[in-house]
Amino acid sequence: MKHLALLALAVLLTGCASSRIEQVREASTGINHGEAMVILGRASYNEKQTEESFTDCIADALAGGENPIRFIPQEQFKDDLYPWFEPRTAPTSADELGRLFAQPGVQQRINEANVRYLAWIDGDTVTIDSGGSMSCTISTFGGGCFGVSYWEEDASYEASIWDLQTLTSTGQISADATGTSYLAGLVLPIPILARPGNAACKGLANQLREFIVEEG
Amino acid sequence: MVRTLIILMIISMISACTTSVVVEGSVPTPLVQKIPARMGVYYPEDFRNFRYQEVIRDAGTWNIDLGSQNLSFFRNLSDALFVSVKEVHEPPLTTEEMRELDGIMIPYIEKYGFLTPSISGLKFYSASIEYRIVLYNKTGQKIGDWNIVGYGKSEGGMFSGDDAINEATVLAIRDGGARIAIELIDRPAVQAWLQEVRAGSDVPAGAE
Repeated sequence: MKHLALLALAVLLTGCASSRIEQVREASTGINHGEAMVILGRASYNEKQTEESFTDCIADALAGGENPIRFIPQEQFKDDLYPWFEPRTAPTSADELGRLFAQPGVQQRINEANVRYLAWIDGDTVTIDSGGSMSCTISTFGGGCFGVSYWEEDASYEASIWDLQTLTSTGQISADATGTSYLAGLVLPIPILARPGNAACKGLANQLREFIVEEG
Repeated sequence: MVRTLIILMIISMISACTTSVVVEGSVPTPLVQKIPARMGVYYPEDFRNFRYQEVIRDAGTWNIDLGSQNLSFFRNLSDALFVSVKEVHEPPLTTEEMRELDGIMIPYIEKYGFLTPSISGLKFYSASIEYRIVLYNKTGQKIGDWNIVGYGKSEGGMFSGDDAINEATVLAIRDGGARIAIELIDRPAVQAWLQEVRAGSDVPAGAE
């Protein structure tokens, strides 16, 4: 009974996020036993950057489940191939892989780690609207919060998948999710969180797994 | 006793407004083709012990100590860039001292700066570091003089401003190092100097 109440509370406090996944395939895929994948977040030196928590979320989702994929952690891969995958030196398209692999030691390092696919994740989660008002007071007789505030977030990400065996781009998968979160003040502040970033992560990870594994 | 207490209170009040960051972290060894030259490297005192201080309204005084992290990274970078490296004293070196060397490299830090989210209005802490790399040939003539800027940024937590500045600074050092490792060998003046080294000639290279 206690568990049921907790479950009901958890469902009640989770807001809705709607998501849309789209895929473009350019080449056939498939991954052999022992082959690995790397997920890298695109970074630039303006105000946008793919959050590390998002790439970690995708990697965790793909490394678990029914068809787990072997992963090389992002930091390890970038350290092993330093200085070739830094924000301003990394290849921006699969066409540049040939030039990169011609650098001494690069192909050898990638072969040693048996990395077959590289997925670049580009995008971020932004707040597109917010409103409402809530005020909290505290006094010697007690305190409380009253009112409602909300904020709408848009999570938009794209994965570009490169095959490091054929040095080609195999396709792109995009995930868009939006959701409105609320903070309701009924003496105690009650958050109802939509988490569109989490919805985009799960949607993108599931599609990515199908994209890599399920086509022979 | 009261006087000591007051002094202690003042010290604690002042230190509460000061954030000190001793930059720490690891930067990997670059995977690049070694430049075929025997290099002497001189690290100026300002480079070895680089410190930066900035007073930010509402955020207090920030003291950033880059010295040992930066020096250790450059030692690693130099070893990876050239076939052999020897640390030398401030140039000029004698003919005898230059006998086993093809040139001298001197790195400088020209500028360092950082931004907190409260200043930039962005979600990140960011740092930038501008290096100046000066190369001299065997006879002490300047081969070239290049400025390279490294940038780094870090997602900061609510209570970890100093950690975020540390991370952003390490990433800026890493970014600057990446560009030095990749771009130095492609400079026309460096290529011309390398031809002289291969030919065993000390004809002055044309500076860029």
